[in-house]
Parts: sequence; structure tokens; C-alpha cells
Amino acid sequence: MLQQNPILKKHFYQYIQLLGLNKLGWHSPCYTLIMLKVMIVDNEIKRCKPLKQSLIDNGFDVVAHVENDVHLHDKYLAIKPDVVIIDTESPSRDTLENICVMSMHNLHPIVMFTHDGNKEQIKLATQAGVSAYVVGTIPSERLTPVIDAAVARFEEFKNLRSELSQAKIKLDERKVVERAKGLLMKQRSLDEVEAYEMLRSMAMKKNMKLADLSHQLIEAASMLIV
Amino acid sequence: MKKEIESQLTTTDSQSAVNANRRNFFKTAVAGAFGAAAALNIMPAGLQNMAYAAGSDAPELTEVKIGFIPLTDCAPIVVAAEMGFDKKYGIKIIPSKEASWAAIRDKTVNGELHAAHVLYGLVYGVQMGIGGQQKDMNVLMTLNHNGQGITLSNQLKDKGVKDGKTLKRLLENENRDYIFAQTFPTGTHAMWLNYWLAANGIDPIKDVKTIVVPPPQMVANMRIGNMDGYCVGEPWNARAIYDKVGYTVATSQDIWAEHPEKVLGTTAEFVAKNPNTARAMVMAILEASKYIEATENRAKVAELISQKSYVNAPKEVILGRFLGDYDNGNGKKWKDPNFMKFFEDGKVSFPYLSDGMWFLTQHKRWGMLKSDPDYLAIAKKVNRIDIYTEAAKALGVAVPTDPMRSSKLMDGVVWDGKNPAAYAASFKIKA
Repeated sequence: MLQQNPILKKHFYQYIQLLGLNKLGWHSPCYTLIMLKVMIVDNEIKRCKPLKQSLIDNGFDVVAHVENDVHLHDKYLAIKPDVVIIDTESPSRDTLENICVMSMHNLHPIVMFTHDGNKEQIKLATQAGVSAYVVGTIPSERLTPVIDAAVARFEEFKNLRSELSQAKIKLDERKVVERAKGLLMKQRSLDEVEAYEMLRSMAMKKNMKLADLSHQLIEAASMLIV
Repeated sequence: MKKEIESQLTTTDSQSAVNANRRNFFKTAVAGAFGAAAALNIMPAGLQNMAYAAGSDAPELTEVKIGFIPLTDCAPIVVAAEMGFDKKYGIKIIPSKEASWAAIRDKTVNGELHAAHVLYGLVYGVQMGIGGQQKDMNVLMTLNHNGQGITLSNQLKDKGVKDGKTLKRLLENENRDYIFAQTFPTGTHAMWLNYWLAANGIDPIKDVKTIVVPPPQMVANMRIGNMDGYCVGEPWNARAIYDKVGYTVATSQDIWAEHPEKVLGTTAEFVAKNPNTARAMVMAILEASKYIEATENRAKVAELISQKSYVNAPKEVILGRFLGDYDNGNGKKWKDPNFMKFFEDGKVSFPYLSDGMWFLTQHKRWGMLKSDPDYLAIAKKVNRIDIYTEAAKALGVAVPTDPMRSSKLMDGVVWDGKNPAAYAASFKIKA
């Protein structure tokens, strides 16, 4: 029942904490079975905060969120998590690799680098940029929710970032067009509407984007007009 | 000359209905090569190479993504791609900058990268399944010798540490945790650092604490006092001196003159499926290596790789040691004959079996391998001397006849590839 009910799982741990049993080293088989200790290594607060919350909501024990830093090795040894979630592109991954080889805790990389695992899940995780390291053999039904939650949050964050960069590109484009317009107004003594019309018809004739043409115009001007 | 090519074209045509794409590719490539060859006045060589790429041995892939880490020795990949050596052999190399060696490994293993500029020992680590899943790997060629180093922090300089002996004395007299960083547990820098410490009587496992830090972050971490020393490739040792945070206590060539370092690595699966592409990569990179080797080209190469998209470090930080001009940041300047080498008439590039086996002996020495593997059989499987030889011969590059070479390391011990198990067990300090 505990396995199937996340809310109960969460509360179960709270009861243990409430009663101070965790401090007494209370280790019933039930308790150790439920609480996978997850460590998130991430600098992106907008990504890891919701991930942390969603893991806690699903009854996982998120023991730490550590930023990519040189103390990662020490922190890992102090916390001894069961699962570490990290961005595939994080430079700190090599620090974890060192722990994999040197530590006695049998930590090893999964997801991207595996023969057996779930192929579809691996693909999704790879695309989202989620890498995971686990200790020993954790059955996949216990691991899957952690990976899934990480993939979901990483995807969300990726979309957010690409929207942001799209918006920024649009803004930059507008700035470039404004500058090109200003240039034409000054050099050819045109008013704003005329300058814009001139740019637009030139872009159409050359079959170019207005922003690209404006950019070229500014580049050319910077070389020709000192 | 033109007729020759045309007749080859028609033979190819008549032989079979070879796939049209390849033929079209060939035609464009030849047209392109004619222009370029005529312009550069290198007609015969250009034609010879094109004919090679266009026969039945045409590369299976026309675009190859090769991963690299920002280090001076990524130069052969960058030069092959940026200066068009790749096109001569019918491929386009797309260099892909990676953030960690783990990413290089994963992406190579799952095929996202076709090949990589990679630590020699890492390839063998994956082959042996150390710290992760096992995958059959291949070394296609060695990319460079020498040009790595061990940097100590300026605090240690102030304590009078100037070599391994004085470091050992400090460790004995001032009892605290000493932290040393390297770049990957099975990689080359871990092995150089361990070897150097052990040769100076310091046990790298018991006497110091070792951590892993990505190469471009070494200097920043030393500046904030996170470590006493590190072992890494250039330019990150020169950079510590430039930034006044550390000094070079030993170069990797002090440990082993003409040691093997980075290789062009990929999976055995990739080579089995794409043998012609593998050979074309080796040919393009061999030619790039030859170009880089010439002293007169090194300033230009340093400039090229210093860019943000590659090493991302000031050109002057790269160039000095790239030319063999060493300054240890502790009052000693010298011209190093064993600076970073890329070619040496193919002596650098040849994937010697004894080089690959050496990394296995050190993995065994430091407890990463629990028992002695079949050193020679594994090296024969991993190091693709066959592919390398084909590529080298097509370019007229001499191929050594003996796949073993003999070297004397800093402690006077000779490694020649014979009796690897006895060699691995012979060290006084080991795991």
C-alpha cells in the first residue's frame, strides 16, 4: 500500500521524523525500501527547485541539491545518496566518474551508458540531457519515477530557455533593423517611413530577411563610412 | 592527368550502378579539388588522394562528428577540419566541444559522436568496463606525445617545494590533507600524477587526496585554494603561471619522454560498420598532424585553437610551450626537446601495442583491474594497426615494423611491452 500511495509514503516518512525515529537509526525494511536518497547536482535553480519538489511529492528523500563545485566529492561522501541526478553537459560529471572508480559504494553511471535498461527511457533522458548515477542495483521500477521526474523538469527548462532565446533573437532583430533605418535616414536624408520602405523593398528584391539585410548594411557601413 | 580521372569515373560507372549519391559526390569533389589543386599548384598529390577516396573505398559517411576537450592537443582535429584536410579524403569533420570526459565517453559509446580526441587510458578503461559498462573500443591513431604537466600552488613554492623530494619532505613535516586533482580516473593525467608521486615515495592513494576537476577549471580552483596541485594537459599548466597562482614542478615528459597521450578513439562497432570512414579520418588527421609538426606553422595553429570555440585561452599562453619554450614559474627557463609532438614522421601517430598495454598495467597497479588481463590480446584488439597502416601507406608515411617500443621512465625502469604482468606487479608503491 505504501508503495502505491505517494501521499502516504510522504507522510510515513514525516511520521518517522516526527517521532525522531530517523535519528535513532530506525531502519525497518519498509523504510529503507521506500526512501531512495536523491542528490541533485545543478546550478540552474529554475530547473532543480521544481525537480526537488516533485521528487519530494513523490515520496523521495532529496538529501541535497549541490551546485557544480570542487567540493562535490566531499559532499557525495558525506551524504552517500542512492541516486545522483546531473546534467549530461555538466563538467562535474568527471568528478562523479572518479567516485565510481575509487569509492567503495559501488556507484555507477546509468541511463546514457547502459546495455540493458529501457531503450525508450534512455532516448528520452539523453535528449533531455539527464544523466544519472546510482549505487548498487536499484530495481528499475523504483528508479524510473526519479528519472521520469528529472526528464520532465529538464524538458520544461529546455523549452523555457528556447522560448527565452527566441524572444531575445526577435528583440535583437528589431534593434538591428532600427539601427539600419537610422543609418539610411542619416545618410540618405530620408524620413523614418521612407527608410523602412527602402529596407523592405531591398530585402524583398534580394529575398532576404529584413534583419539579415539590416545586419549586412550595418557591417558594410562600418567599413565604408568611418 | 584529367583523362586519368575521367577514365576512372567511367570505369566506376560501368562496373556497376554504384549509388548515384556517391558518384555525384565524387564529381563535385573532383571539380572542387581541381580548382583547389590548380590554385595551390599541388596537382599530382591532390589527384592521387581523390582517386583513393573515390574508388570502391569511398567513405561510408561523408560527415563525421569528432568530440574534443579544450586542450592544446585537440589541435589535429581542429586543423583537419578548419584547414580542409578532411575534404581531401572525402569527409567533413565536425569538431564538437564537450564539457567532460564522461560526456565524450557516453556520446562515443552511444554513437552521438563518431570518434573523439580522448585520453589513452580512458579508451582502455571502457574496454575493460572500469567504473561503468563495458564496450569494445578502438584506438585508430595516437594524436600526440608529451605536453602535459604537474602544477603546484604558490603556497607550496613559498614552503620551498621545488621537486618531488622536497614535496615529500613537506608532507612528512606538515601533517594535513594534501589535495591533488587530475582529469579522469582511468585517464592519462591520473597515471602521470600517480607515477610521479609514487616515484618520489609518495603513495597517491594513502598519502594524498585525489579529486577530479575538468581541465579548464583547474586554474580557477587552485586560485581559491581548493587544491595543492594538479596534473593536466597544456595550456592549463602555463596558464597557472600566467595567472600567478602556481608553478610547474614536473612536465609529463620528465616522467616519460615521448609518452603517448591523446588518441583518436571510437567504438569497435563504428569501425566495423565504417572502415573506410575510419581510414579517411586517420588520413585527414595524419596530414593535419604533419602540418602542425612544422615549427613554422605552429604560431598559426596556436592562433586557430586559441579561439573561444576551441581552447578559449590567450594565444601567448598556448604558444610558448607549443614551441618548446618552457618556463617553470620558479626561476627556470629552458628549451625542451621533448615538447608536444604530433607526427615525427609517423612515430608519434603509430598506435604501438606497448603504449596501450602500459595503461592496462597501471590500471592493474592502482587496483582498477582486480586481476591481470591478457594485456597483449586486448591491445591487439583495441589498437587498429591494420587501419592505421593502410592510411599511412596511402600517404607515404613510414610505418614502424615493431608494434612494441622501449622507453625508460623517470625512475629508470624500462617498459618495452614484454612481461606486462611482472611489470605491473614490480612497483613498490601500488594499490
